[in-house]
Amino acid sequence: MRRLSLIVVGAVAGLAAVVGLHPTSSTANALGTGGQAAGGRGTTNPTTTTPPTTTPPTTAPAAPATPTPAAPSTTAPAAVARSSTGPAQQYGYGTLSVKVTVTGNRITKITTPTLQTAEQYSQQLAAQVIPMLNAEVLKAQSLNINGISGASYTASAYVTSLQAALKNLNFP
Amino acid sequence: MVSVTFHTPSSKPGTSNVPERRSPPSPAPQAWIRPVALLLVGLGLGATVGLTLTAETMSQFDAPGGVAIFLGSLTGLVGMYLALVMVLLISRIPVIERLLGLDGLVGWHRRLGPWPVSLLVAHAVIVTIGYAQAAKTGLIHEVGTVVTGFPFMIIATVGLGLMVIAAIVSIRAIRSRLSRETWWLIHLSMYLALALSFAHVIALGPSFVGHPVTRWVWSLVWAATAGVVIVYRFCLPVVRSLRYRLKVVEIRPEAPGVVSVICSGRHLERMAVSGGQFFSWRFLTRGMWWQAHPYSMSALPRPPYLRLTVKNVGDHSAAVSRLKPGTRVAIEGPYGSFTRHAQHRQTAVLIAAGIGITALRSLLEDLPNGARPIVIVRASREEDLVFRSEVTELVKSRKGKLHELVGPRHKVLVDRRTLMKLVPDIGRRDVYICGPEHFVADIVELVGRLGVPEEAVHHEAFSL
Repeated sequence: MRRLSLIVVGAVAGLAAVVGLHPTSSTANALGTGGQAAGGRGTTNPTTTTPPTTTPPTTAPAAPATPTPAAPSTTAPAAVARSSTGPAQQYGYGTLSVKVTVTGNRITKITTPTLQTAEQYSQQLAAQVIPMLNAEVLKAQSLNINGISGASYTASAYVTSLQAALKNLNFP
Repeated sequence: MVSVTFHTPSSKPGTSNVPERRSPPSPAPQAWIRPVALLLVGLGLGATVGLTLTAETMSQFDAPGGVAIFLGSLTGLVGMYLALVMVLLISRIPVIERLLGLDGLVGWHRRLGPWPVSLLVAHAVIVTIGYAQAAKTGLIHEVGTVVTGFPFMIIATVGLGLMVIAAIVSIRAIRSRLSRETWWLIHLSMYLALALSFAHVIALGPSFVGHPVTRWVWSLVWAATAGVVIVYRFCLPVVRSLRYRLKVVEIRPEAPGVVSVICSGRHLERMAVSGGQFFSWRFLTRGMWWQAHPYSMSALPRPPYLRLTVKNVGDHSAAVSRLKPGTRVAIEGPYGSFTRHAQHRQTAVLIAAGIGITALRSLLEDLPNGARPIVIVRASREEDLVFRSEVTELVKSRKGKLHELVGPRHKVLVDRRTLMKLVPDIGRRDVYICGPEHFVADIVELVGRLGVPEEAVHHEAFSL
């Protein structure tokens, strides 16, 4: 079939052209391969969109003294709670930044001080997805998490911002 | 009443009395368009799949709903792309129409039709499943979220609904129960359906969000397609109708239930049309202006006159026989690849049944001198042989042969034996077949078995 072979040739060429020309969107890759790949990216060009906006180690609890017991209830030796906010990330559907609190060598709290979305659906989606991401990171204690499909842009912006914040805190 | 003759008078004996054309033939089809068009269709398909693939990352497949959402994007985008090809097919782009003929375009449009619709329905179902998995909610609950929560999703859902309805009425068994006009009006909503679904693709498609380039390219391709439709389905017919200013001058009975409509117009000496082609005619009267029907031109234009011939088979063709002289006529066309351009070989055989003689009559007039046409005409009764004297004259002036096969269908048929006897050298001729669908299908199959290669068989079927 000459007709079919022409279509197939065209299709292969079209596919090759798009895959070849289209650089996979820079943030999307940070996800999934987890902290490792994201770390590599971070060293070269930590955050593409904005320079780190927030201050380095903002010692979170208001107390000026260095060793502030963050969790007095625990019997374990008290650790310092430190927090940092990653740069605001623009993703296709909005902007978000992630604030992380690290106590000792554990991630204890994650919030999103900046969360603006283009429209209502994305707001809903983010509201649904970010708690899931928070839970995953807290559980994994690293960026080695699965993405949330249907929210890959939100998730990769989240990971990029969080990664920068953790780097500020010298979190492994 | 004017008496116009489209008859070729057998002028002075001994001279070659093939009359000169008084208007130019339609432009010849360009063979190179075919591979280029096929390559472009493939290129677009590959690019569409590529767009979906590059929008995804491997990790997304591991996430809940990831595979479903990917498949949803893929089916949606490929479905939209095929819908675009369908629109282009039916837009009657002249360079492609010349190559395939309108019935060739419609044939491909019909064959491809089920694909975009099923892919888009699959897209809606699969994406909803994917989001339900991702959100860890039930499918039914997610339908509501997907439709009302996303931007542009309500109109896209309406669009899908329209598309499904239009597709259902195009299923052969259902379509045959509807009038042509009802079907056409419902089918027209496909354009609306596509327009309604456009926004959600751009606003939500993973290949487009955050990718301004793909957004632009996709929008431009669709805008260009809409432009093609507007130019070739609307502007060109309007311009042609205004240029030729056709109006009915005479209704002439030709045979029981068969009338010729003779129109006069301006500039017909510039009308590029080949014998065997047809126009879509729109008679601008109170009850008929909104419907256009395809009828064959039954003779080459004799400026300032043009003749079409209609068999009374439906409401519209019955109304045609009651048209008043002076009625204005709008045309779309000419269409059809059943012309002299299709001829590959020196000689030809022309086979017609029933009202198929009309297209064959004008084709016969247009065939080159050396064609020595053998003409076979089948009719149930002697009085159904339309244009008997015209056809006889034309065949004679072209040094051909005419065979009239008259009798009931079951008794007098065009079968293998008849064809072998009447046209012993059929394998070396071009074969032109014109008539009702089943007749054309039968003869196409028959001449195929007689060893006529596919490229030498040309046909035009009348669907009643």
